[in-house]
Amino acid sequence: MRSRLAGTLVPAVGVILVLAMPFMTTDRYLFKVLTFVGLNLIVVAGLALLFGYAGQISLGHAAFFGIGAYTAGYLTGEAAVPWLVATLVAALLAALVGFVLSLPMLRLKGHYLAMATLGFSEIMTVLFIEARGITGGNDGLRGIPYPSLGSFKIDTPSGVYLLVWITAIVVLVLAANLVRTRPGRALRALHGAELGAQACGIDTGRLRVQVFALSAGLAGLAGALYASAVGFISPTTFSLEFSVLLVAMVVLGGTGSVTGPVVACVLLTLLPYVDALVPGLPREVVSFLQDWEADIAGIVMILVLLFAPGGVAGLLRRSPRVGEAE
Amino acid sequence: MTLLAARGLSKRFGGLVAVDDVSFDVYEGTIKALIGPNGAGKSTLFNLLTGFDRPDVGEVLFADTSIVGLQPHRVVRAGMARTFQNTQMFGEMTVTENVLVGMHTRLRTGFAAGALRLPPTRAVERDAIARANHLLRLVGADAFGDAPGADVPHGVRRLVEIARALASAPKLLLLDEPAAGLNNTETVALAASLRRIQADGTTILIVEHDMGLVMEISDEIIVLDRGRKIAEGSPRLIQKDAAVIEAYLGEVIVDA
Ligand SMILES: Nc1ncnc2c1ncn2[C@@H]1O[C@H](COP(=O)(O)OP(=O)(O)OP(=O)(O)O)[C@@H](O)[C@H]1O
Ligand SMILES: [Mg+2]
Repeated sequence: MRSRLAGTLVPAVGVILVLAMPFMTTDRYLFKVLTFVGLNLIVVAGLALLFGYAGQISLGHAAFFGIGAYTAGYLTGEAAVPWLVATLVAALLAALVGFVLSLPMLRLKGHYLAMATLGFSEIMTVLFIEARGITGGNDGLRGIPYPSLGSFKIDTPSGVYLLVWITAIVVLVLAANLVRTRPGRALRALHGAELGAQACGIDTGRLRVQVFALSAGLAGLAGALYASAVGFISPTTFSLEFSVLLVAMVVLGGTGSVTGPVVACVLLTLLPYVDALVPGLPREVVSFLQDWEADIAGIVMILVLLFAPGGVAGLLRRSPRVGEAE
Repeated sequence: MTLLAARGLSKRFGGLVAVDDVSFDVYEGTIKALIGPNGAGKSTLFNLLTGFDRPDVGEVLFADTSIVGLQPHRVVRAGMARTFQNTQMFGEMTVTENVLVGMHTRLRTGFAAGALRLPPTRAVERDAIARANHLLRLVGADAFGDAPGADVPHGVRRLVEIARALASAPKLLLLDEPAAGLNNTETVALAASLRRIQADGTTILIVEHDMGLVMEISDEIIVLDRGRKIAEGSPRLIQKDAAVIEAYLGEVIVDA
C-alpha cells in the first residue's frame, strides 16, 4: 500500500517541481545543465527498455544520438525544414538505422553484441567527421536554429528546458506504461528465459529488432533536441565515452526498472557540474570530483555490481519487501 | 479424429540416433503418454514436434497442416503449447506475470497501445489477470501468484508452466515430466487438474516417469526406447507388453 502511494506521489511531486522551476529561478546556467539532464533521460528511457528489460547491451547509443543531432541540425540549419518535421525525421532516421543494424546482430549476444555496437559507434564517429558536406567535418555545424512551431520560437534557456523536460516526462510515462503491458512483459520474458519466451508464442527475433529500433529512435530524438537546444554540434560529443556513460546510468539505476535509471541519470549527469550546483563546496573537493569524474563513475559502478547488483532500483525495492514479509 | 500426426520422425546428434523413425497419432480430446527410459529420446521428440529442433527426416501434421520447419512461436500460434523438463520460468517476474506472458498470442496490445495504456488496454489487462488467476487455481499454484518466479519451489514451477502454456488456449498441450518434484498428494492433485483440462477440450501429450500417474490418466501410451517406438496402445496393453517390460527391466511397470 505505502509503496504504491509512493509510486505515484514521488513522480507527481517530481513533475510539479520540474514544471515549477522556471518560476523559481532565472539562472541560465542552471537551465542549461538541467536541459542536459532531460536529454539524457530520453536516451536512458530507451536504454532502460533495451538493456534493463530486454537485457541487450548497446555501446552505440551516442552514435544514434549523433545521427539525430546531425539530421536535425542539417535539416533545420542548411535545408530550412520546419523544426518539428526535422525533429521527427531525425528520430525516425535513427530508428531506421537501429532497425537495419539490429538485423545482422540478431545472432549476437553479450560481449559480441557489445563489440558489434561499439564497431558501429566507431564507424559513425568517422562518418560524422568525413561526411563534411552534411556534418561540417571536425568543425561541426553552427547556427542551428532554436526550436520553433510556426512563428512561435522557443529561444530562452527556460523555454528550451521546459520543451526538453516535457518531452522527457512524456517519454518516461510511456516507457513506464509499456513495461506494465504485453510488449513490456515480452521484453522481460526474452531476458529471463529465451526458450520460455518462444514457448509463449513470442517472436523473439522480431521483438529484439523492435526494441533496438525504438531505443535508437529515442536516442535520435534526444540528439535532435540537443542540436536545436545548443545550436552547435561537433563530432567529439557523440563519442564512445558518452555511450558508456549512458549504459552506466542504466546499470547503476538497476535492471528491470525505469525509476532507478532516472535517478542514476540525474545524479551522473549533474556530477560534473557539482561546483555550480552546490555553492558552498570547497575548491579541493570540486577539482577532485572533476579530475576523477570518470574514475569515480567506474569505481561506483564496480561497487554497485559487487554489492548491490539491483542498482538504485534494487535498493528502493528492498525496503518495502522486507516490510511486507514481517 | 487425429489432431497431431508424427510421420517417420528421425533426429541424429552426431553418431547418436536420438529419435529413430517414429510415427504416431494423437487423437483429439485424449490424453496420450510418452514413456521410456532415460535418454530414450522423449524430450528430443517434443522439440521436434514444437519447432525447437528440426527433424532430419519426417513430417509433423497438426490439424492436417504440416508444421515442420515452423519457428516455435508459430507453432504456438497454430495451437500447440508446451512445458519444459528443465523449467523455463521468468525468474524476475511474478508467477502471475509468467502466466500473463503465456497469453502473448491471445492479447493484441502492441508497443503503441501498451505505451498509451488507455482505458480499453487497462480493461484487457484486468481480464487477462483474472484469467491468469483462474489458470493458476486450475493447476493448484494460486498461492504463489505474487511470488517471483525464481523463489518458487521446483515442483510448483512445473505447475506454473502448465498454467502458462494453457494461457495461449492451445488445442494440444505438451507436458515434459510435469510430476517431477511433486510429492504424492501433489501428484494426485495434478492428475485431477489434467483431467479437468482434458474435460475443457484440450488434448494432452505427456512425457512422464511416474507410472502411477501415467496409467491413471492416459487413454493411450507410446513407449520409446533408444529412439525407437517399441510399443503403443492402451495402458492395460502396455503393462503386459514383453518389450516394454524388458526395456524397463521389469521393475517400474510391476510397481505400478
Ligand atoms: N542437443 C543435443 N546434442 C547431443 N545429444 C543430445 C542432444 N539432446 C539430446 N541428446 C541425446 O539424445 C538422447 C535422447 O535425449 P532426450 O533428452 O530426448 O531423452 P529423454 O527421453 O527425454 O530422457 P529423460 O527421461 O532423461 O529426460 C540422449 O542420449 C541425449 O544425450
Ligand atoms: Mg527428457
